[in-house]
Amino acid sequence: MEPFILFELAGTTYGVRSEFVQQIEMIDDVASVPNAHPAVEGVVLVRGQVIPALNLRTRFGFDKVERNLRSRLVVINNGSRVVGLVVDTAREFIKIAPESIEPPPEALTGLSGKYLEGIASINERMILVLNLDAVLDLDYEVEAALETT
Amino acid sequence: MPDELKMNNILVVDDSPTMRRMVITSLGSLRTVKSTQAGTGLEAIERLAIEPVDLMVLDLNMPDMHGMEVIDFVRRHQSYRNIPIVVLTTKGEEASRTKALEAGATSYLTKPFDPRQLADVVGSLLKTT
Amino acid sequence: MDKSTPDNSGEFFDQFLDDYYAECDEHLVLIRRALVTLEDEVDTATIDRAVLDNLFRSFHTLKGISGMVGLGAAEQLAHHLESYLRELREGSVVLNASGFESLAAGVSLLENVINARRNDQAIPSIGDMAARLQTATTSAPADTENNAAITRWQIEFTPTADLAARGVNVNSVRARLQEIGELKQAKPIVKGAGEIAFQFILSTNAGQTTLKSFEVDGLVFQAAEEDATAQKIRQPVATLAPSTVVRVDLDRLDELMRIIGELVISRTRLEDQLTELKRSTPPAVWRPLQETSFGIARQLRDLRESVMRVRMVPIGEVFERMTFVVRDLARENGKKILVQLSGGETEIDKFLVERMMEPLLHLVRNAVSHGIETVAEREAQGKQTEGLLSLSAMTAGERIVIKIADDGRGIDRDRVLERASARGLDTGNTQLDDAGLLDLISTPGLSTRDEADRASGRGVGMDVVKNAIEELGGHIWLATKLGEGTTFTIELPLTLAIAEALIVSVDGQRFAVPQSAVREVLEVESTSTNVLENNEIISYRGKVLPLLRLARVFEMNHELGDKFHVLVTGEESNAVGLAVDRIIGQREIVVRAIKDPLAQSKGIAGATELGDQRVVLILDISALRQLAVKSRH
Repeated sequence: MEPFILFELAGTTYGVRSEFVQQIEMIDDVASVPNAHPAVEGVVLVRGQVIPALNLRTRFGFDKVERNLRSRLVVINNGSRVVGLVVDTAREFIKIAPESIEPPPEALTGLSGKYLEGIASINERMILVLNLDAVLDLDYEVEAALETT
Repeated sequence: MPDELKMNNILVVDDSPTMRRMVITSLGSLRTVKSTQAGTGLEAIERLAIEPVDLMVLDLNMPDMHGMEVIDFVRRHQSYRNIPIVVLTTKGEEASRTKALEAGATSYLTKPFDPRQLADVVGSLLKTT
Repeated sequence: MDKSTPDNSGEFFDQFLDDYYAECDEHLVLIRRALVTLEDEVDTATIDRAVLDNLFRSFHTLKGISGMVGLGAAEQLAHHLESYLRELREGSVVLNASGFESLAAGVSLLENVINARRNDQAIPSIGDMAARLQTATTSAPADTENNAAITRWQIEFTPTADLAARGVNVNSVRARLQEIGELKQAKPIVKGAGEIAFQFILSTNAGQTTLKSFEVDGLVFQAAEEDATAQKIRQPVATLAPSTVVRVDLDRLDELMRIIGELVISRTRLEDQLTELKRSTPPAVWRPLQETSFGIARQLRDLRESVMRVRMVPIGEVFERMTFVVRDLARENGKKILVQLSGGETEIDKFLVERMMEPLLHLVRNAVSHGIETVAEREAQGKQTEGLLSLSAMTAGERIVIKIADDGRGIDRDRVLERASARGLDTGNTQLDDAGLLDLISTPGLSTRDEADRASGRGVGMDVVKNAIEELGGHIWLATKLGEGTTFTIELPLTLAIAEALIVSVDGQRFAVPQSAVREVLEVESTSTNVLENNEIISYRGKVLPLLRLARVFEMNHELGDKFHVLVTGEESNAVGLAVDRIIGQREIVVRAIKDPLAQSKGIAGATELGDQRVVLILDISALRQLAVKSRH
């Protein structure tokens, strides 16, 4: 069984391996970075380090919403990079058996389908497991688009 | 006074700080030992003048005053002539071994030295003096 | 069994490996310095004895400590070098050109052996070099010179524990005497009651008053009779770390710097809180608080400067290493090159030096391999047979400027352009200026495969060089003229971490601008701007100042008001005014790097925080000016 952190985005539940989550924070103030990628909201200070805040709604092509009290910054640390993900909310922790994660179905549409490692169904609930490398690599979008043409 | 309460002060003389640390760490297994360092021959003699020294571990090749000159000076001085001197010098200078012993070195080890051997030599010299 | 007595002495001495490498580095620096001096004395009979002594001792020490850590190859090599030095010192051989070559090559190999061990690589073989050094014994013995004295003094110093506690000891006394004259002798003597003293013979032109001032430290002077038999003392001119010197790991200094950075932020917070208190507090209470806060600010600055000074090293060490690379490469390529060094004493942060080593090496290698022509080519063009490579450093405000200039063939624009378009790269216009040329040769992948391209330009790895410099908050410029040579100018911050900055505001967002980049701040009315050939300008000191609107460069949807502030940046001839809404204030900021590529942006040098946990971006003025130049084309 592997621990996962769950968060919500546009009515869907996503999961990331908790070993890659450094911390989850309320979002205070994001300083926008000029000429950055549209999905990069800006930079924030986490534990004395300046890290980018990546808006997952924009990243996955959903409508952007105003931040509210439930909004959270999920700080990802994969050993080489530290990046904050702006999500609608995040408050669950769950253990998932590796065998219950299945590859994403071909028919899955929408931009976020390209960033999935798999789908887990736990008690009738569907959890989309993120492929963090793909999410953090902004060039990935282009390559994925090229492959389909 | 019981023996184990007396701390013996060892003067470690070498122009290489790394070598000095190696020597001092090697002597760490002796419980009744503390150490003082000097990076040159003149500095070593100054140390003798201003603090009690029970034994010297001495390099031969040093700036300003050769180790042999240090031995010579120490042995001529009435207050210091009995301090044991362990000469520690580099491979290839074995010829100087006889010279050093003639000049008054008490014992002689070659670098690279075995830390246990150094501790043994120093330990036994301290016991016999 | 006692824990500190190991079973295996090899493993026991492994704990000293870091010390070992550090001391090796220090000796290699001294050795290279000595070799540079010796090179001028090849084939002369008057070699400076002190230089030989120091070189001998460095090899001797390297031999000893290498043996202790079990690095046999380095031990043996150092032994051969030491033996050759002994011959030189004893005058049984004269240093000739081939001997010097062997010596230099032996040192390079010694360095490689040590580095191989440090990086866990295969240790290079030393067999050939050992043989070469052994045969480096020819020629006739040399005469030693004698010099005349000015005034000789005999000085006696009696050490005591009290004096030693005050820092007055045989080493400090000797150093003081060496400052005012030449020490002819230094020896210990025994006085009446067995008291130890030191006797120095000093030859100096210093007057009696200078000497008198030393008497408070227990020094006794008397005129010495001319003593022809007095031996010239072997001076420890460049001995390593006397026992009062402490080696500190750079990481520990970084930690110290980080803590100071946090203190600076706390102090800023205190200042803000004091400002808020001002209205509700009687001046008699408030003012002392304010003065205390200022006092802390001053002390913090002193503390920071002290720590920074500890981190600073002269760039000369790096330059000296370069001269060796040049020598080796020049010989391989059959070129004659004169290396000119200046500003070696300029100090730079140790961290920056380490990061700059590779980029500088790269530029120097390129200058030698591809820039400077062979002797035959140079003669055919009527140039001096000897090529010139100059390395210089100087400080400019809070930045260091490093120049690497050669008088070689220069970069052939047309050929670079040809190659670039053959690779399908967009070369923009064909009238390539130096900045455009630098951009082009810094394109990843350009010219790595093609020999012809290598010869024409310097594309090999220029992208790596440029990135490394920019990551450190620096910039690189190129100036090249076909047939005349190439100059790379590198500008870097002297240190990282803390800087004075102006805090400005654009569309409600705050930015920090390093004070060192700003010459003047102007208040401008929107009616006083003009447009000239697509450029917005204002008049400034009777000249035309191009205006750069920050909101426009950053593509913010925002227009300036009727009145705004302009920061004047850059030198006279190419000054640019940076237009912002207003200046909020001046602060001391802690510079933090932006490491993740997602958050990096041209024109942004880093980020800081002003005590309210909110991030403020630091502008990169040089990069902004470049952006401005490009947008004008």
